[in-house]
Amino acid sequence: MMATRRARGVGALVAMAALVAAIAALTAGGAGAGGQTAFALPRAQTLYISGNQWSPNVDLNPAKNWDYVTGLVGFAYETPFRYDPLSDKFIPWLASAGKWTSKTTYTMTVRSGVKWSDGQTMTPQDVKYSFDILKLATHPQHALWQDTGLKSTKVQGRNVVFTFGGTPGIQQFDFYRFNVAIVPQHVFQKYSKTEITTGNLSDPKKIVGTGPYAYESGVGASSETVVWKKRDGWWGTSALGLSVGPTYIVDIKNGTNAAALANLLRGNIDLFNNFAPKSAIRGQFKTYFDRAPYHLGANTTWLFPNTTKKPLDDKQFRRALANSINMGQIISKAYQGLVAKASPTGLLPIWDKWVDPKVVKQLGFSYSPGKAKAMLAAAGYKDTDGDGYVENKDGSAIDLKIVCPNGWSDWMTAIQVIADSAKAVGIKVTASFPEYSTLVDDRGHARYDLLLANDRQYSNTPWTYYQYIYQLPILDNQTTVNYERYTSPSAWSAVQALDKIPSSNTRAYQAVMSKLQRSFLQDLPAIPLWYNGMWSMVNTKYWTGWPSAQNGRFTPTSWRNYWQMTAIDMLTHLRPAKQS
Amino acid sequence: MPLTEPTQSGVALPAEAVADAARSGAQMAPAPGVPAAPRLHSELFYFAFRNWKFVLGSVVVLACVAIAIVGPWLTDHPPLAFDGPTDQPPSSEYWFGTTSYGQDVYSQFVHGLRAALLVGGLGGGIAWVLGVGVGFTAGYRGGWIDDVLNMLTNVVLVIPTLAILIIVAAYLQVQSYTTEAVIIGLTSWPWAARAVRSQTFSLKTREFVEVARLSGRSTRQVIATELAPNMSSYLLMTFILLFGGAILIGASLDFLGLGPSESISLGLMMNNAFLASALLLGSWWWFLPPGLGIVAIVGGLYVMNVGLDEVFNPKLREL
Amino acid sequence: MTRYLARKVVIYLLTFFVAVTIDWAIPRFMPGDPIEGLLSRMKAQPGATEELTGYYSHAFGFDVPLWQQYLNFWAALLHGDLGRSIANFPTPVSELIMGALPYTLALLIPAILLSFWAGNKTGALAARRKVLDNTVLPASYVLTATPQMWLGIVLAWLFASTWAIFPVSGAYGLDVQPEWSLEFATSFLHHWILPFSALFLVAFGGWAIGMRNMIIYELESDYSNYLTALGAPSKLVRKYAYRNALLPQITGLALALGAVVAGAIVVEIVFSYPGLGTLTLSAIQNRDYFLIQGIFLFLITGVLIANFVIDLVYVVIDPRTRVGMQGGS
Repeated sequence: MMATRRARGVGALVAMAALVAAIAALTAGGAGAGGQTAFALPRAQTLYISGNQWSPNVDLNPAKNWDYVTGLVGFAYETPFRYDPLSDKFIPWLASAGKWTSKTTYTMTVRSGVKWSDGQTMTPQDVKYSFDILKLATHPQHALWQDTGLKSTKVQGRNVVFTFGGTPGIQQFDFYRFNVAIVPQHVFQKYSKTEITTGNLSDPKKIVGTGPYAYESGVGASSETVVWKKRDGWWGTSALGLSVGPTYIVDIKNGTNAAALANLLRGNIDLFNNFAPKSAIRGQFKTYFDRAPYHLGANTTWLFPNTTKKPLDDKQFRRALANSINMGQIISKAYQGLVAKASPTGLLPIWDKWVDPKVVKQLGFSYSPGKAKAMLAAAGYKDTDGDGYVENKDGSAIDLKIVCPNGWSDWMTAIQVIADSAKAVGIKVTASFPEYSTLVDDRGHARYDLLLANDRQYSNTPWTYYQYIYQLPILDNQTTVNYERYTSPSAWSAVQALDKIPSSNTRAYQAVMSKLQRSFLQDLPAIPLWYNGMWSMVNTKYWTGWPSAQNGRFTPTSWRNYWQMTAIDMLTHLRPAKQS
Repeated sequence: MPLTEPTQSGVALPAEAVADAARSGAQMAPAPGVPAAPRLHSELFYFAFRNWKFVLGSVVVLACVAIAIVGPWLTDHPPLAFDGPTDQPPSSEYWFGTTSYGQDVYSQFVHGLRAALLVGGLGGGIAWVLGVGVGFTAGYRGGWIDDVLNMLTNVVLVIPTLAILIIVAAYLQVQSYTTEAVIIGLTSWPWAARAVRSQTFSLKTREFVEVARLSGRSTRQVIATELAPNMSSYLLMTFILLFGGAILIGASLDFLGLGPSESISLGLMMNNAFLASALLLGSWWWFLPPGLGIVAIVGGLYVMNVGLDEVFNPKLREL
Repeated sequence: MTRYLARKVVIYLLTFFVAVTIDWAIPRFMPGDPIEGLLSRMKAQPGATEELTGYYSHAFGFDVPLWQQYLNFWAALLHGDLGRSIANFPTPVSELIMGALPYTLALLIPAILLSFWAGNKTGALAARRKVLDNTVLPASYVLTATPQMWLGIVLAWLFASTWAIFPVSGAYGLDVQPEWSLEFATSFLHHWILPFSALFLVAFGGWAIGMRNMIIYELESDYSNYLTALGAPSKLVRKYAYRNALLPQITGLALALGAVVAGAIVVEIVFSYPGLGTLTLSAIQNRDYFLIQGIFLFLITGVLIANFVIDLVYVVIDPRTRVGMQGGS
């Protein structure tokens, strides 16, 4: 009896000890990162955001713009300019001005009176340094020095002069003007080259930036939240009269969309950039638009056909396929109306002004199964064996697989609809859901038939979209562009020409744009489907002044690379909601 | 009478405890007891059908099988078609309601039951064949064969089954339930092997086995004609536990999204429902049925098993 | 007894070796190139990919032949270096694992120990009292047949979504940070209860049933009857019966570890609990070889150690093993 009683007690004790040990281990892990003693943040002054961070909160390198912690660039580091995609304007930021002073030189005037968060002054030398480190071959943004013709940077007084060899890639350079983080030379010169290009720079105490927030706590491999605190001495207040609303920002790392939604419904999140079902949009939860599609379109989701395979190498077949897709059913079933159908040109709505309506009317596609069947027949695809599906012109069977990553439930539904609607016009397509990494590998090596992808987001120029479709040469492994391996030297040289035309030269620009749209719709190397949403639901209980279509047209998102567009304006317009 | 039986390799293998830990990869299960002397078949049937646990368990399992067979005929909605209204509670048209994508939950449920029974039967069967084979061979032959098989068993046993299955399923891109059943079967046999092995040890020393061996029967013959019939109850219960275990492991694999994705299973239903935030939106009709289905089949199997145990071991009958 | 233990150690070491080799090999044979996945996520410009591929290949040691990679793996392992995560380069694997491990342990250890203790106690009680027997036993059958993730979903639905008593996900609240404070501890416990319950209840069922059967068996055995016939108080008989019944349960504990770990993986996912389960899944989805290897190594080592500890406990508790094992068989 004694033994069992002891055993009983021992068991319970061990369990409790384990629990205590676990908490202790967590504290040991957490204490290293931030050194903040017990806190609970004041709700009315704290902005809780979620939807950007899916990987561990360990990356503090501003060069790694697919991985760094939310807001690293935006809250701490800033860029020379910002870009407003909804009004197509560049906003001088750390640079107070910039212009092309000759055909091959661009002069950027660096703003004076900007101080780093450690008290030192930001100088044009820092700006030059920040652009120069992109010369390192393994720097993720190295392409600036490779593809735009940029040859050198030089400091001249308050200016940094960029000198190009030959005609500069203006559109690309413009992209870098608002995407290169300006870092302090006096801190970064202590890092090794490897650390700068691929490291995590994971000591948060070394974050020295010009931005409106300073790191507070939360960086660590197991951490679920990162906290930023508003700092005094931000240049934006004295130079532009701006002030960010929230005193604290807490970025929440996602487990699953479901977990994030739960937090939102509990009122724990203010800015929700995860996908939320339509039924959640009610009461105090609002979206950018107050009716369908509720969200801005952030990127185009494309259907990529592997154009190296029969019959996808035949443009007539591709166009027939495009006409078979029941977009309405995708939008209602997969998204409950939360997305909009894409323009047949694939261009985002922010580039509507460049879309040539004549070309679209003449060559565009839409859901019309009858037309799809007719196009198939006219192109020579017949059902010779009576199984209900057409065969190749040489008689071999057509049996295509369409893939998307396993677990992306909205896409899984969408490709099933695509497969079903293709079958309805006689094209045999089956949906399959491999693991993401396998899909990426197969995609790069053309081991697929049909797949969905949507890599390119908002940018200052549709050039990024056309590069995505047409870039040559085609390598062994297409990691980021031209998955469909479409070879059209004439289209690609048109794209390269577009790069060199300043957007202010609207006539020349429109001419090339129309040419590209015509070529695209005739050949349809990829089929644009819908605009994936810039998912953004806001909780109006604690904060007010959120961007919307009617008021303050800013990008309402915490996603990386959007802070240096107009997401910062969202912060400067937020005010605490009055408690009723 | 000692409960534990030290074996040649020094690992104590109480038969009951081994069976106690049931399926590698999921949960605990009731233990089959040590089989007593063989009974007459007619006597067994009499007691079996008097045992309410056995009857109840069998009825539940048979009902599930019946639903799995007949159920799909009662609906004309394919399980994966998006032709219904989204997020509807149960109605006369959609008996179990619809999913967030407009699919018929009832149709998914009955098709999922079929998949579960396939995976359970085939996976459990393969594990049974392997486990029993290894167990008999190791137990009867002993010596270095036993050592080698024991090593093999230990290795496969120690590695958390689900962990291995996660890797293998991700690698193989499982697209059919047969494949899933096979890989489950190949990884969940060790505890059965151990249990059968220790039972074989204890039986091996009995006189009738000695007699058979001395009279020149081959190993296979001895196993088939002397050992197996005397352990028949044990073997049957082992199979039942493996069946239930395979269903549970399969459900976990499907829930992780590693099972076949082009058809539907109960685990996949739970996965879909979870990812679509069904529990937050209150769509109980979507995630309750698949779990209840599994509880019904597996629970029924276990209760059946316990009933059988009581039939074979009167000591365990109700107080 | 030393021979017995030495033999066990040899077996475990051999098992460790084989298991580690398998652990190293399987991720290598998965389709999908992790570096290309990384480059794609980086959205590396086409011109840079060659350079970057070479760089990362070298950084991860992929540019040497397979057999050399295997030897390098063992060398690093013996130094405690599990390599660097591919998907989260250059974060060390051990850092990611150490970050996640406390959460998994916080779920696993209490769940295993408490369910073992409570389940066995309840099972023993149920063996004595018909009332309990008729309620606990059917409930236990149902519990042990319940898939853990489904139970997690149901608990979350009832107690976190429908009645907002507990949080629905995460390990701690959004307004606290892991540190030694009352706020954190309270928030942690509040978030811990539901995932713990999902694991605990299912395991509990199994132990209860097993113990109940064991006790009945023991109470019917010869020595029990003998003691009763001698006039021993029933409490004494029950005490011996319990101890004897506990032995197979302890062995069963070792075998059940794999089951509970599997349960923890799926339950963590349901509650977005930042433990090893969630880490494993994302590692596989990212083809993060080193992270997968590191996690499985942890699991294998942990399970082996636990097995060994249980063997030791068994030797201590059951004198027959010591007697029977002397001189070997």
